Amino acid sequence: MSPASPELVTQVTSATAPGETEIREARGTLDVSVVVLVSERPASLAELYREYGPPLARSGFSYEFVFVLEPWNHERALPLESLQAAGEPIRVFEAGQTLSEASLLVAAAPACRGRVLLTMPAYQRVKAASLLPLIRRVRAGADLAVARRWPRQDSSINRFQTRLFHAAMAGVLGTRELHDVASGVRAMRADLLDELPLYGDLSRFLPIVALKEGYRVEEVDAEQHAEDLRTRVYGPGIYVRRLIDLLGVFFVVRFSYKPLRFFGLIGSALTLVGSLILAVLFVQKLGGQGIADRPLLLLGLLLAMFGVQAIGLGLVGEIIVHLNAADRPIYRLRQGNGEASEAEARMGEEVPGKREDTH
Amino acid sequence: MANMTGRVRLSVVVPVFNESESLTRLVESVREALGSELDWELLLVNDGSTDGTGKLADRLSGEDPRIRPLHLARNFGQTAALQAGFENAVGEVVVTMDGDLQNDPADIPNLLAKLDEGYDLVAGYRVSRQDTLVTRKVPSAAANALIRRLTGVPIRDNGCSLKAYRREVVERLHLYSDLHRFIPAVAAATSGARVAEVPVRHHSRKFGRSKYGLSRVWKVLADLLTLKMIHTFRERPLPLFTAGALMAVGIGLFFAAYTVIAAITFQRPEAIRALVFPSAALLAFGLGFYLFALGLVGEVAVRDRRLRDSEERFVLKEITT
Repeated sequence: MSPASPELVTQVTSATAPGETEIREARGTLDVSVVVLVSERPASLAELYREYGPPLARSGFSYEFVFVLEPWNHERALPLESLQAAGEPIRVFEAGQTLSEASLLVAAAPACRGRVLLTMPAYQRVKAASLLPLIRRVRAGADLAVARRWPRQDSSINRFQTRLFHAAMAGVLGTRELHDVASGVRAMRADLLDELPLYGDLSRFLPIVALKEGYRVEEVDAEQHAEDLRTRVYGPGIYVRRLIDLLGVFFVVRFSYKPLRFFGLIGSALTLVGSLILAVLFVQKLGGQGIADRPLLLLGLLLAMFGVQAIGLGLVGEIIVHLNAADRPIYRLRQGNGEASEAEARMGEEVPGKREDTH
Repeated sequence: MANMTGRVRLSVVVPVFNESESLTRLVESVREALGSELDWELLLVNDGSTDGTGKLADRLSGEDPRIRPLHLARNFGQTAALQAGFENAVGEVVVTMDGDLQNDPADIPNLLAKLDEGYDLVAGYRVSRQDTLVTRKVPSAAANALIRRLTGVPIRDNGCSLKAYRREVVERLHLYSDLHRFIPAVAAATSGARVAEVPVRHHSRKFGRSKYGLSRVWKVLADLLTLKMIHTFRERPLPLFTAGALMAVGIGLFFAAYTVIAAITFQRPEAIRALVFPSAALLAFGLGFYLFALGLVGEVAVRDRRLRDSEERFVLKEITT
C-alpha cells in the first residue's frame, strides 16, 4: 500500500525536479492542482490549458496545471513547454513506463502543490466553468466531488452506455448514489490518495471506492462539452473488462479483510449441494441400486470438491490477511477541528457550514 | 506516545456509537468506580456517531481532562473502534467496556485484582444475564462452546465487552474484520496471554436498541473457522492442507481400486464403460494436489511475512523468579 512513488514519473519541463522532502513540504502551498492524465485519445494539451485555465485564473484560486504523460505521448508535451516558458503555471511529468491511469495519478499526486486535486482526462468532457463548483465542494468539506454530465446532450447510444454501466454497478455494488462515476472529472482532498489504495483500473471507480469506504462523496451537475457529444462505441472486449473491473471492485471493497466470508459462502453452498446429492445416492446404494454408472455421482463429487477448494482458498486468504494485519490501519481519525480554514475566510466565498459529526 | 506510558496506570477504552443519552451517566459511573486514588484515563472512541455524542464527549473532556475523546472519521465498527482505543491508550493496563451501560464500571477493580494475580487478560462473564433467551442467550452459548472447543481457551462469555489487558497484550493485538468477538482467543494465539475470568454484573439496556440480531450467525461461523486457522495454523498452514489433501487422495484411491478390481474381475463392465468411477478417482486426486499446492502457498505467505518481520516473533515469559 505504498501510496506514492515519485520516482515513477520524472519532470520533463525545465523547472528543477523536486526531491522527496521538497515534495512533501510543497503540498498545500496552492489552492488547486489540476491533474491532467494524458493516456487515451488526448486532445491538444495546449488548447486544453487555454480553455480550462482562464476560469480558474478568474476565480481567485491559486492553481497549477500538472500534466502526466505516458512515454509515447512525449511529443504532445512540447507545446506546453513554450507556454511554461511564458510563465504559465504548468508542470509536465512523464512516466518512465506504461502506467494505468490510476498509477499516473498516484505517481503524480505527491508532486502536486494544491490542497485540492482536480483530475481530468486529456480531452474535453465538461465545460471549463464547471470545474469551479467541484473545487468549492471539496473546500466546503467533501472528501471528493465528482462531475456528473447533466443534462446529457449526447446521443442516446452514449447515454445508454452510461446507464447500463451504472445499472450494472448498482446491481453488483448496490450503489445508486452516483450517476456518472467514470466522467473522470473529480476534485478531491490532496491527502485522500494517501489513504485510498489506488491501482490498475481503479481510477475509474475512485468515487465509488471512496463512497464505499465511508468518505463524503458528492455529485455535481456539469454542463457537457461539445467535444463530448460524439457517439463512441467500443469493442466488446472493453465492456467485458468493465464488468470484470466491477467484480474486482466488489470483492476488494467488501471482502479484502475477510476473504473467507466470500469464498466460504460459495464453498459451503457448493459442498452442501454436493453432499446432498451424494447422500441421496448413498441411500439408493443401500437400497440395492447400483450407482457406479450414475453421472450424478460425478456431479455430487465435483460440487463437493469445488466447495472444498473455495473454502481452502478463503483460508489461505485469511492467513495472508492475518499476517499483514499489523501493517494495515483499519480506522481513520477525524482530521482537524472542523473549523473553516483561514483560506476559506479570505476567499470570502461559500463559507462552509461548521462540520458536524453527522456525516 | 511511549514517553507517556507509565504515567497513567489504567486506560478505560469505551467505543461509543450514538450513545448521547447514556454518555454522561457512563462517565459519571466510571468516575465513581475509579475515584481519584487510581491514576486513570477514559478513552471515549466516538465511532462516527450522528446524534451529537462526539460534541458531548468533547464537552465532558473539557470538564475533566482524564476523559479523552477520540473521533473516528466515520462509523468503522466495533473492531476498528477498539483497535483505535488500544493504539491510543497510554495506560499500563487497558480495560474495555460497552458504552451502553450494560457493563458496570464498579466491576473494574475486581478485574484489576485478578490481573495482579499474574494473568495477562481478564475477561468478565455476565451472571444473571439480562437478555432474551432465543435470540441472544442460546446463540451466544453455542458460539462460546464452539470457540472453547476450537481454541482451547476457556472463556465462557466472549460476548462480554468488560475485559482487562496488560499493555503488552494490547500492543500485540492487531484486530480486523470482526475479530473483537474473539479477543481472548486471538490474544492467546498471538501473544500467549494467560487468560482468566471473573463474574461481572450485567444490566439490561436502558437506552436505545441492541445493535445485533440473529443475522450474524453465518458471519460468526465463518469467523470461527478463521479463528481456528489463526489459532492452530498461523505458523504452519501446510499440515492442515496436507491433511485435507490426504483425505482427497484416500477418496481417489478408493474409486481407483474399485475401478481396477471391477476391470480385473469383469463383474460390472457397464460401470467401467460409464467411466464414472475412474473420473471420480481423477477428480479426487486433482483436489488432493490442489489442496497441497494451496498449503504451499500458505507456507510461502508465512515465510514471506517472517522474513519481513524485524520485531521478535515469540513472546517468552520467565516463570521462575
